[in-house]
Amino acid sequence: MSDLELLALHGLAVKKAGGAPAVAAVLGAQEDDVVAGLDAAVAAGHAIGAKGTFMVTPAGRSWLDERYPQAFAEFRDDPAATAAYERFERINRELLTLFTDWQMVPAASGRVTNDHADAEYDRGIVDRLGDLHERAEKNLGRFSALDPRLDVYRRRLDEAYDQVLAGEHEYVSGARVDSYHTVWFELHEDLLRMLGREREEAP
Amino acid sequence: MNRVAQHVVILDGGTTHDRETIGNKGASVARMLGLGLPVPPAFALPIDECRRYHANGGRLDDEVWQDVLAGLADLEERTARRLGDPDAPLLVSVRSGAAVSMPGMMDTILNLGMTEAVEAGLARLAGDADFARRTHVRFCHEFGHTVHGADLDPPADDAAASDVCAAVLEDTGATVPAEPLEQLRAAIHAVFESWSSRRAVAYRRHWGIPEDGGTAVIVQAMVFGNLGAGSGTGVLFTRDPLSGEPEPYGEWLPGGQGEDVVSGTHDCLPLSALRDGLGDAHAQLLEAGALLERENGDVQDVEFTVEGGRLFLLQTRAAKRSPAAALKTAVDLAREGAIDEATALARVTPEQLSSVLAPRLSDATVAGAEVLARGTPACPGVAGGLVVPDADAAEATRGETVLVRPTTSPEDVAGMIAARAVVTERGGSTSHAAVVSRALGRPSVVGVGEGVTAGWGDRQVTVDGRAGVVYAGRLATEDPDVADVAGLAELLAWVTERSPVTVVDEAAGVLDLDAAGVGLDTDARMDVDDLAGRLRGALAARGAVLATADGARAVLRSGVTTVVRAPGQHAAPLLLRIVQVLNDEEQR
Repeated sequence: MSDLELLALHGLAVKKAGGAPAVAAVLGAQEDDVVAGLDAAVAAGHAIGAKGTFMVTPAGRSWLDERYPQAFAEFRDDPAATAAYERFERINRELLTLFTDWQMVPAASGRVTNDHADAEYDRGIVDRLGDLHERAEKNLGRFSALDPRLDVYRRRLDEAYDQVLAGEHEYVSGARVDSYHTVWFELHEDLLRMLGREREEAP
Repeated sequence: MNRVAQHVVILDGGTTHDRETIGNKGASVARMLGLGLPVPPAFALPIDECRRYHANGGRLDDEVWQDVLAGLADLEERTARRLGDPDAPLLVSVRSGAAVSMPGMMDTILNLGMTEAVEAGLARLAGDADFARRTHVRFCHEFGHTVHGADLDPPADDAAASDVCAAVLEDTGATVPAEPLEQLRAAIHAVFESWSSRRAVAYRRHWGIPEDGGTAVIVQAMVFGNLGAGSGTGVLFTRDPLSGEPEPYGEWLPGGQGEDVVSGTHDCLPLSALRDGLGDAHAQLLEAGALLERENGDVQDVEFTVEGGRLFLLQTRAAKRSPAAALKTAVDLAREGAIDEATALARVTPEQLSSVLAPRLSDATVAGAEVLARGTPACPGVAGGLVVPDADAAEATRGETVLVRPTTSPEDVAGMIAARAVVTERGGSTSHAAVVSRALGRPSVVGVGEGVTAGWGDRQVTVDGRAGVVYAGRLATEDPDVADVAGLAELLAWVTERSPVTVVDEAAGVLDLDAAGVGLDTDARMDVDDLAGRLRGALAARGAVLATADGARAVLRSGVTTVVRAPGQHAAPLLLRIVQVLNDEEQR
């Protein structure tokens, strides 16, 4: 994918809403390039922006949907990508369960909100996250071999996990930071768009 | 503690035990043995051996290995079974145990000692070929995953052990040894290696834990709850974890093994079924539970297995409990003299107290209300408002709103922050909406059904995120009656006596932090000194922010002695927070 606008708009669609720095971080791209791409997208009516924050317009979505099959044709046809995605889905299911366990503690009455008073419980989950993180790294290695751009997610997941190890609990599933959940969700969105698949809501 | 050999410690309850030598798990086993409780026999390679292993360049030398064999011989003698013997097979668990727990350390490997011949022998002994096969499959899966780091799919129900070993080989190029002693040696290596795993090293770097520590290895005989009649596994809570009543509570799964109970995949019986079937084991279990509760000064959650009528305790730890039970058991234990009042006050969190005191819908209100939809409860709490479809509408609406959407994605997070509650049509307890609502503490019901929310626009609704129900209209919530909450009166008296700050309903000259917008921007990190500066000199203060630990710290630093309850705040959590912060600062 060499088209600057397509790349920038794709990054914005993954991020949903955000400024050039956030989109550049998602893409692992130069901020200047992203600014140029977003400006082009705004000029074409594919994105709108105010105060440095952009969103994809409905026209931009249609445009992306039209371009994706060609832009990612090679990726979509590669059996290695499909195989890697199947592994991704399995890790995804386990991660989603982990996020629930992190937020809600099983109790006799069902589940109660995790108030993080039980350090041993939290530690067990951080340990499981580490295990899944190692599997995710392996999985991203397979994807990066197909498209080096995706390596940026490995780095971002690693940073989130490192914050978790440092005791920054927000970085497990916090919605306000680049938590493991936030980055993972964006990766998932990115892969779905690349492969032309629909998200299945978790059970 | 008996060193049969220089490099191995036999855990037999004989002498003292400390976690600096044999790690936290080994110390816990030794401690139970020291109390005379029935625990499966075990030995440990102490933490020094990990240092020695690494100093040797990642090698277990022959001298140490000979001592491991001596430890194993002792286990075989005490269990009258032998590793790899199909007629009387000994299976062991191998686990790591550092002085402090840390991520990255090797997980437990169960059922080590499994081979094709042992599988056949176990099938004969148990009269259950399926059980023997599953035990073998589980071992290969766990060994491949834990020792070789294989990324494996969960084994199929009818998989053979050889299938799993082949999958391990394919993923990692490494084999699961067929020979029990080789399995043991590889597992011990893996534990010691895990001390230098990337995760463990990163964790130590973050927390300033010295690199020259190490981990012990605990090798323990497995007992089988699935080996014939009079066997099973279960969990005992020394008090009811839901109500906190001082009644033993638990579950019993005849014929079950280990994690069958905890995993929640099996239907268990109440503990009374153990009493009816195996009275002696039941009586011994309750006695052991009471002893452990007394020793540890807290409600215990004890995992146990009965093998052929004989009780074994596998693990004990402080029991998880509901907020109501946390309050009641802390106060009860203090009244019984098991702990002092200060300890009791540290056992309850202000969040638990708030949850106990949280407004709820009365049965009468619920009975008369129109149910609009039912779904999966995703985040507990009750809140209501005007239905809005997106973030813009939530932000543009004055007053309280409920975000209602088919499903949510990252672009809806702003709307979820602005709304009081969240409802989605699709998705379950792990969907984006559920995960994010919980992070934000918004009552939430998900998966109410495709198309169900059509026509809800401009309606008022009330969301009960605990029950998973959405009601039409705004329903009146009610506060629980303070007199009905077990332990609350005592706790309130203790914190009132200790707190230098009083909480009142109204006062003159109140500095209203909510009105000033202080601490409401949840993205900004609070600066305690800034806040204390603002408070200094005020006669009294009010604000949601004062319910946080930083808020309490600021109040104490500023010298303000009167806090006025903000809407929805109860005095007890505010006072408890202040007392806990005060204790923390005194301890420093």
